[in-house]
Amino acid sequence: MAWTRAASLNEVPEGKALGIEVDGIHIALYNLDGKIYATHGICTHALALLAEGWIEDGKVECPLHQGQFDIRTGKALCAPVTEDLRTYAVRVEGDDILIDPEQPAAETVFGSRPAAAAPAKDASRVVIVGAGQAAAAAIRAMRTAGFNGSIDLVGTEPHLPYERPPLSKEFLLGTAEFSSSVRLSETDAVQLGVRLHLGVAATAIDAAQRQITLANSEVLAYDALLLATGGTPRRLGIPGADLPGVHYLRTIEDAAAIGATLDRAHHVAVIGGGFIGLELASTAISRGVAVTLLEREREIMARIMPAAVGRAFRIMAERHGVDIRRDARVIEITRRGARLGVVTGEDTIEVDAVLVGIGMQPTFDLALQAGCTTTPAGIEVDAQGRTSVPGIWAAGDCALYHEPVAGRRLSLQSWQNAEEQGAAAGRSIAGHNTAVAQKHPWFWTDQFGRNVQMLGIVSAEDHVALAAADEAGPGAIYRMFDKATGRLAGVVAFSNPQAIRAARAELDSATPFDPDIHGAIISSKGQDGADAMEASVMNANPGLSLTKRYIWPADGLTRIPDWVYTDQAIYEREVEKIFHGRTWNYVALEAEVPNSGDFIRSNVGPTPVVVSRAEDGSIHVFENRCAHRAAEFCRELSGNAKEFVCPYHQWSYDLKGNLAGVPFRRGVGGKGGMPADFRNADHGLRRLKVTTHRGVVFASYCDDMEPLADYFTPEIMREFEATFDGRKLKVLGYYRHSLPGNWKLYHENLKDPYHATLLHTFLVTFGLLVAGNKSLMLADPSGRHGVMASAKSDGKAVSSDAKKEMRAYKEGMTLAEPRFMDFVDEFDSPWSVTMATIWPNLIVQREMNTLGVRQIVPTGPHEFIMKWTMFGFEGDTEEMTRHRLRQGNLMGPAGFLGLEDNEAIKFVQDGMQRVPNGEHLVKLDPAVEAGTADNLISEAAIRAMYKHWRAEMGL
Amino acid sequence: MDMALKRNPSSASLVDPRLEAVLLRHEIETFNVRYANALDEQRLADWTEMFTDDATYVILSRENHDRNMPVGLIYCEGKGMIRDRAFALSETAMFAPRYLRHIIGNLDLLGDERDGTIKARANYVVLQVLFDRPDATLHQIGVYYDAFRRENGVLKLADRRCVYDNLLVPNALCLPV
Repeated sequence: MAWTRAASLNEVPEGKALGIEVDGIHIALYNLDGKIYATHGICTHALALLAEGWIEDGKVECPLHQGQFDIRTGKALCAPVTEDLRTYAVRVEGDDILIDPEQPAAETVFGSRPAAAAPAKDASRVVIVGAGQAAAAAIRAMRTAGFNGSIDLVGTEPHLPYERPPLSKEFLLGTAEFSSSVRLSETDAVQLGVRLHLGVAATAIDAAQRQITLANSEVLAYDALLLATGGTPRRLGIPGADLPGVHYLRTIEDAAAIGATLDRAHHVAVIGGGFIGLELASTAISRGVAVTLLEREREIMARIMPAAVGRAFRIMAERHGVDIRRDARVIEITRRGARLGVVTGEDTIEVDAVLVGIGMQPTFDLALQAGCTTTPAGIEVDAQGRTSVPGIWAAGDCALYHEPVAGRRLSLQSWQNAEEQGAAAGRSIAGHNTAVAQKHPWFWTDQFGRNVQMLGIVSAEDHVALAAADEAGPGAIYRMFDKATGRLAGVVAFSNPQAIRAARAELDSATPFDPDIHGAIISSKGQDGADAMEASVMNANPGLSLTKRYIWPADGLTRIPDWVYTDQAIYEREVEKIFHGRTWNYVALEAEVPNSGDFIRSNVGPTPVVVSRAEDGSIHVFENRCAHRAAEFCRELSGNAKEFVCPYHQWSYDLKGNLAGVPFRRGVGGKGGMPADFRNADHGLRRLKVTTHRGVVFASYCDDMEPLADYFTPEIMREFEATFDGRKLKVLGYYRHSLPGNWKLYHENLKDPYHATLLHTFLVTFGLLVAGNKSLMLADPSGRHGVMASAKSDGKAVSSDAKKEMRAYKEGMTLAEPRFMDFVDEFDSPWSVTMATIWPNLIVQREMNTLGVRQIVPTGPHEFIMKWTMFGFEGDTEEMTRHRLRQGNLMGPAGFLGLEDNEAIKFVQDGMQRVPNGEHLVKLDPAVEAGTADNLISEAAIRAMYKHWRAEMGL
Repeated sequence: MDMALKRNPSSASLVDPRLEAVLLRHEIETFNVRYANALDEQRLADWTEMFTDDATYVILSRENHDRNMPVGLIYCEGKGMIRDRAFALSETAMFAPRYLRHIIGNLDLLGDERDGTIKARANYVVLQVLFDRPDATLHQIGVYYDAFRRENGVLKLADRRCVYDNLLVPNALCLPV
């Protein structure tokens, strides 16, 4: 006994409650008709202070989810509360209220348990398939109604029945344990006489014999069967939907996986702007994880409620920093190193994980087997949960609501529905088929610090009246009206439980809508202010115009629209998403900067960079742009330097790109100069990630770029290492040229073996290449890299058929000096010619013995610059070097082949610019949709490249 | 020059080294004009014949030239390769039709070698007209570093290295310079 003074009597007026703390325990004091009662201050269902609840008829209603308790006894009276509330003994002495936290109130029910069910006296057998919340509700209702036959509970999950709402909220936030979600504990199961079959699926039903077969071959006979099989999350039907890191939420295991993901993630994408999606977004945000939410419709929640209300949810989420993209098509999910790329109609969003909440698919195979009437949305039941087959009931997420709503049979998929349908079925199975007063459908969601509740059933077509100062702020009330009758259909209230309480009466009232009471109608379908407002917001969104304008042809990969090659906005996006994105860009050969202080100018995409070798031998790549006033400070093509000094204001940088000196940094005579907190370390040149392999230097703007070997894939690496075989490179010189075409056409040209014998008649005329030569057009799994390879065959061996096939083959035409076409077999490769296209800016040319790397430097959609660095190897003889130089006549902007490629690409660009809105046809070799081709007459590698490009670009 | 001959009719004056120089300059300038015409008129077989059998003909960038790097846009060792280049360009190469004007000037004679080779340099400009634009573009600007030799009394190129200043070749070089 420890009576403690808790409060003064006048602090608890009649009909009110007061929240206090005694010995660290939250306690609620109530005054019922002048008598003081005390209960534990926190709802047994979720974290809510009961002192803030509603008191009526001796009951307190939790402000959060409308669970009710009897104040005198602590008894849990209705859903969602099942656990009774602790009560405390109260004594009033004069003006003081004293309580004893160790002693319950006289009337308490807390701690008492329903009497253990008597052993099954009648032979009546009930089997429940699906061990979730509806099952638990049914079991309690059955026993309460006096049923004392046997109950077998079968569940696929290995767990006791638990409620799922906390899975997207408290469980992920760590504020609730799994045990608090359990709706039927082990003890309950014993006391209620339930035999558990957990972790085992029911696989078959024989409705005539009334028996169920389980996956473990056990057969259970029943007199009454309750199907409470719930459902499974609807899956994305797009490529990449099942990649690791893409999460769906239904079970405690799913939630645990999402929780583990959120521990590590910085940024997640949530697909689906419904209740689950928003709750996951809210949870992620409150755990400090950035969220991009993608909604397919024009407004979130649009399929279940009017856009004006969805908009309020969106505003609430956006205020908390969720980046919401509407009208978002998710086309594919791709791997991006250790991350994932969500490819939308607009771009690719790079995230650590993808959380999908796009609805639920009810599970009702057994109902179908048994012949129950179903719709795609669920099993049809009446108000007592009876299906069309005698002896079979259904409840919860797998069942439809018992009556049509706005003319449609739908499944409510709510906590309350599982509870009520389960209980109704339980009572009915126990023989009580008297109708219980129907409650209005009720939902709640906790997100972004608000508790939003919805009562009634609304549809997207309803009129909406808003009563609020802040459309998404606490207290906001949205009332949905049926357009035809003017009657209230439902109410959504933001952190306003009183409004929901009041709505019960409003929904029962026959009084039509009165704007004086409910506020002005702000929305009805088609012609409303909210819609007009939306339109202007969306037009202001440049992303939308992009989606509308850049429509890929319906044919898919076999057509490429001209705007891919001609559009400035597309080009700018390529620079951002590709050249400055997750790519390794070729910048130089190590042989060009062999010594400390050596530097060479290069580019990453169009951006000028400097490649420099520092004193410690390391190679650095940084932007050729002074951190002060942007001057392109390095003007020599290459050279050797101790430091880099911008000529404009003499800012100097070391060989790694760090800012070394700022003239007059401290001003002159104590005046002027940089602010005192200026630190050189904050103002270095923009530095890129660098990697090298076999003497080739690559740079990336992506900070967490994967290793080059992963970027290349083994196939491409094999070919790369065949050319860069470990011998030290010797640079023999450069070609540089502009090319008036789109940069991608160059990749395509080298993924297009079809052109080789048709454009380059030189090869065929002199019998050097025919279509019958052994060849391969390889594409890596991503589609971005490729190798065009062929093996030289003796011209004399060309079959007459093959000659006929090649129109340009001319007998008797011979070269005076054919030796320049000789092939000295110096490589460990089956191929004499390979052209490796390494995304996005490198071509490795191994044209027999003339070797080079070609660097693409785009300057706009219509032009790029190509820099060729031709090389041989240290240790080449004089004659070998000359052989490489002679063979070089094939390539470069004056090469027998090279000049033709450049001309052809220019012709393509010319053709597009003069005929608007055209498309290219890339249909050759339909046997390979996109990827590697084993023949020359194929465009499969071009298709593979565009598959990748579209994913990167989000188009 | 004809006037000079008239003023100095005696044979003795023909060995005047100044006159020799004038005649040689005239001869090489005439050679360069014919060379330019052959290319402008795309008579590539005639162009081929302006080289000695062992001639080298290389077009390379100033960048490579200054760094002693040998890579050339066109790299021919011997008349056979020069002929092959001409033959392939006229018989097999695909490029858009065009008009070209080679303008050669600033000839500078750099002296004779003992073996009769005459060293010279001259600036050149190649203008190109494509059929779809009104303007001629400066396609290439550079210097010829030449070595001439007489074959049966006829002046021929034993070496022509065309070193171009505009590092970026506009798209493609379809004909020799």
